[in-house]
Amino acid sequence: MNTFFKKSNASSTCLIHTAPLIALMALSNPAQASKDQSYQSLRNWIDNAPVASEEVAPNQHLGIKDRALLEKYIPHTAWEYYFFDDMDMEITPTRHYPAPDDWGGEKADKDFSVDETGTLIGFTGGGYPFPEIAPDDPQAGQKVIQNMLWRPGANDYDMPMVTWLRSEGGKLDRIMEYTSVNVTYAHGHHSLVPGYEEVKSKQVMEFRSPRDMAGAKDMSIRYVDHYKENSGWLYMPAERKPRKTLASERTGELMGMDMIREDSNGFGGKVFENNWEYLGKRKVLATINVKTNPEFGGPHLWVPHKTRWEVRDAHVVLVKPKSENHPYSARIVFVDAETYWTHWMFAFDRKDDQMLRMNQHFLKYSEDYDVEPPEQAPYVKQDFNKSVGHQVFLHLGESDINAKKPHATMTHCYTNKREFTAARAKQFFSLRNMVSGRR
Amino acid sequence: MAAFRPKLAAVSALLMSVLVPLPSWGIINIGDDIELEGFVKTMNILKTGARPFNDGELTHQRNTAQLEGKYYFLRDGTAFNRFSTGPLEEATFTFLGRAVYDSVFDLRDSYDVLDGIGKEEYKVREAFIDFVMPPFSLRLGRQQVVWGETDNFRALDVINPLDRTWHGTRESWEDIRIPLWMARGIWDIGKIGAFDETFLEVIVIPDDFKTNKAYTDYPRPWAILGIGLQDQRANSVLLGDSLDDLYDLSVNVIDNTEKDTDIRNVQGGFRFKGIWKDVEFSVNYFHGFSQTPGVKVRSAGLIGDTFETVVETVTPRINVFGLTANYSEEKYTQSVIRLETTVTSGVPVSFAPGAPHSADVDGDQYDTAHQSVVMIGIDRPTWIPALNSLRTFFLSGQIFWRRWLDYSSYYRGTSFYEVKPAKVGGTVVPDRYISVNNDKLDQDEFVLTFAASTSYGAAGLWKPLFVFAYDPRSRGGYNKIQMEYLHSKHLVFRLEQHLYWQAGNEDVGPWGLGSWLAQPGIRRNETVFTATFQF
Repeated sequence: MNTFFKKSNASSTCLIHTAPLIALMALSNPAQASKDQSYQSLRNWIDNAPVASEEVAPNQHLGIKDRALLEKYIPHTAWEYYFFDDMDMEITPTRHYPAPDDWGGEKADKDFSVDETGTLIGFTGGGYPFPEIAPDDPQAGQKVIQNMLWRPGANDYDMPMVTWLRSEGGKLDRIMEYTSVNVTYAHGHHSLVPGYEEVKSKQVMEFRSPRDMAGAKDMSIRYVDHYKENSGWLYMPAERKPRKTLASERTGELMGMDMIREDSNGFGGKVFENNWEYLGKRKVLATINVKTNPEFGGPHLWVPHKTRWEVRDAHVVLVKPKSENHPYSARIVFVDAETYWTHWMFAFDRKDDQMLRMNQHFLKYSEDYDVEPPEQAPYVKQDFNKSVGHQVFLHLGESDINAKKPHATMTHCYTNKREFTAARAKQFFSLRNMVSGRR
Repeated sequence: MAAFRPKLAAVSALLMSVLVPLPSWGIINIGDDIELEGFVKTMNILKTGARPFNDGELTHQRNTAQLEGKYYFLRDGTAFNRFSTGPLEEATFTFLGRAVYDSVFDLRDSYDVLDGIGKEEYKVREAFIDFVMPPFSLRLGRQQVVWGETDNFRALDVINPLDRTWHGTRESWEDIRIPLWMARGIWDIGKIGAFDETFLEVIVIPDDFKTNKAYTDYPRPWAILGIGLQDQRANSVLLGDSLDDLYDLSVNVIDNTEKDTDIRNVQGGFRFKGIWKDVEFSVNYFHGFSQTPGVKVRSAGLIGDTFETVVETVTPRINVFGLTANYSEEKYTQSVIRLETTVTSGVPVSFAPGAPHSADVDGDQYDTAHQSVVMIGIDRPTWIPALNSLRTFFLSGQIFWRRWLDYSSYYRGTSFYEVKPAKVGGTVVPDRYISVNNDKLDQDEFVLTFAASTSYGAAGLWKPLFVFAYDPRSRGGYNKIQMEYLHSKHLVFRLEQHLYWQAGNEDVGPWGLGSWLAQPGIRRNETVFTATFQF
C-alpha cells in the first residue's frame, strides 16, 4: 500500500508537465474509460439503463470482480473512486420507507402556486408540494428538487459531526468537529413559533475543534418565500460579537472543504437562478439505510466501504446555472423517487465540462435506530431512542470529492432527532444567542 | 529565571497532564460536564528598525500557555445531575487562564532596568457563570463585552479597557482587552410590532474600573513616550531666549485615576437590538469613565532655579450614546454594509500652554469635550479568479470619521509629547532636554482601513491576510502582511510583517500611524513569527 502511495504522489508532482500527454493517452486507451469524467459520459451512462438480465440480486456482497454489473448502478463519473481492489458492497433488498403518518395530511399546505421559473409561491410545508411527478411535465425537474427541499426529516435534529479532509493517498490534511442544530418552523398550516410564519427553518452550527475554529458559530434562517435570501450571522470568538454574513454568495469552497454551499444535499441554491431539465428515472445503488456511519475505503480513503447499499429508483435532474460566471456548466442530481433524499450529485466545470465536484450521501431510517443504532459521536453521547417513531431519514454523512484538485472531504454525522418547543426554539435560534459564545 | 521556572513548570505539567493521557484532538472532555481547551504559543518579534529589514532587534520572545474550561453544572433544569431548578434551564461556569513568560528578558541586558515588568503574567483573565432562564439570560463575573460594528477602532467598543503597551495589531483584541467584573443580563423579547429578533441587554460594572494600559518608559522598544528623542526624559524648561531662562524641570504627578468603592462610581449601560425590514440595528448607551486619563495642571511656576509643576491625572465621566446598523445587500453589490455612530461626552483633552482664558477657563490646561464618530464599513466575499479559483476573497473596508463637536484650536492631545535637546540661540545645551506638545488636534480625524483574506491549498491550510490603514490627514499608513499555515490539527505557524510609513507630513495624527509608530528610531516595523500548539 505504501508503495502505491509513493507512486501516486510522485506522479501527481509531474502532473503539470505531463498533463497533455496523459490526456492523449486517455483518449487512445480503452482501459482509461473509467477516468472519463465528462458531462457527456454521465449522460451516456444515464441513457444506458440496465436491462432485466442485469439486475443486482440482494443479500450478497459484491466486490471488484463484479464491477461489470456494478457499473450499471454506480454513475459513470464516480467509477474512478468507487471501484478499487478490496471494495466490499453489501447489497440489501430494496425497501419501502413510509413517511410520517401525518405527512401530506390535513396540516399540509395545499394552497400554493408555481411561477414560470418553477419556484414555489406560498407553500408552507407539511407534505410534499408535488406528491406526483409527471415525466412529461416541463417543470418536473424543479418539482423534484422542491420536494427534496421540503422532504420530511430535513430538519429537527441535533447533528454532531466529524469531517476529514484528505488528499490523494489518504493523506489527512485536517479534521474538524462541529455540531448543527436545526429546526423546522413551517409545518403547513401552522408555524412552530406563532408569529414567525415567514420562517421555513433555522439552524445554528458551532465548531468545537480544531481550536483555531473552536467556538465559531453561525446562525442561518431560511424563509418560506424562496425569493427571499437567507439571513446569516457568524460569531467569531476572537471578535466576541456576531457579524452579518452574505447569503447570496454560494459558489466558493467553505473552510477548505471540497464543497460549496450550493452543493448542500445535492442542490442548496435558488431554483430561479437555474435552467432545469428532468432526465427521467434511473436505478442507482445508494447508501440509503446504512447500519452505521460507514468506514472510508479506496486508495485515497474517500468513499464508503464495507457498508450497505440498496438499488433505488432515482429522479435524475439536470440543473444548468443561468449565470455565465457560475463555476458549473451543469449539475446532475439523483434524488430518491420515494423519499426525495439526494443520493448522488455531480457538477461539471464550466471551462471544460469535466467533473469538478461530486457528493454522495449516507442515510439511515429512524425506525431502525432501536435495532441497529448508529455510531456515537466521539465527543458526545446521545439517546438515539429519541429518533425512533419519526419515520424519517437521518443524514449520517457524505463524501464530497473535488476531481480537479484532487481532494475529498468525508463527513460523519451522528444525527439524532430533536423536538423543540416554541419557547425553546425562539430562545435558542435567536440573535440574542449569537452575541456571545463559548468564549 | 529561577522564580519563573517552578511556575512555568507547574503550568506545563498541568497542560501535559491534560494533553498526554487522552487521544482527543479537539476540546477535551472530562466526564460529561467539563470541557477543556487551550494552547501553548511562542511569539517572536523582531523589530526591523529605522529602515525596513535593517537594524533588527529581538523585542519579544513571548511564551504563552492558555487554558480554557467550561463546566456544565446545570442542564435541562437539573443541577449537578440531582436537583431540579425549575425554570432555570442551564448554567455553566467558564474560565480562561493565561500564563506568559517573555524569555527575551533573559537574552537582552538592556531590559535589566525594566525590573522584569512585562516579563511574566499569571492570570485568570476571565471567569464567569452563565444562567439561562428563557427568555432571560445572565452572565456574572469577569468578562469582556463587545458592542458595535467597527473593527479595530473604538467607538462603542469601550466597555473593557485595552492593554496598549505593545500589542497593537500583533494580538487580537480578544487577548488585549482587560476583562472586568460585571453583570450582563439579556431579555430576549423577539417580535414586537415591526421589529424582529429584539433583545434588551443591560450591563452593570459595580466596582471595577481600569484605565487603558500603556508603558511609556524607555528602553522598551515599543514605548510611546512621545516622538523625538526616546532615550531621554525632559529635565528642563526654557522660559526665554537666554541661557538664564533655562531652568530645571520638576514634575509631580498626582494620580487620581483610581476609583473608590462607591455607588457613584458604578458604570453601566444598555443595548436594544433588533431587525427592522431586514436592517439589523441597535441603540446603545454606556455611562462610564474615560479609560484614557486627562492631565490637569494644578500648579506651575518657578521655585528657586526649578520650574515646579504639579499635575493631576483624572478619568472623567463619559456618556456614550450610539446607534449601529447593518444590512445585507444581496442583489446589486452583494455586500454587507455596516454602520456605527456615537456621540461621547466627557472626553479629556489638553489645552496648549498659554491658551487664552476664553478657551481654558479653569487655567489648568484641561477640558472635557464632546466627540462624535461615524463609521461606514463594507464586507464583501469577492471572486478574483486570477488569484484564487477555488475560494472567494473576504474584502472588508471601513471609513472611520471622528469629530470634536465643541472644538477649540488650542486643543492638544494628551499622549504625545516631543522630547528634544534644549537650544539657546541656536546652540544645543548639553544634557538639557525639554518637552513640547505639538500634537494639535484636528477637528475632524479620519482613518481608512482595508483587509483582504482568503485561503490556498487543497484543504485551505494556507491563509494569507493583507491589512492596510491610512490616515489621510497625517498621511500616515500601516500595512500588515500575514501568512498562517495550519500545519496539523495541533500545530499552527504564522509569519507577519508590519510596516508603518508616512507620506510627507509631520502631523502626529490621532493614531500615530505616521508619527510615533513610523519615525526613524522608534518605527514599529516588525517581523513576527508565531508557533502555536493548540488543543
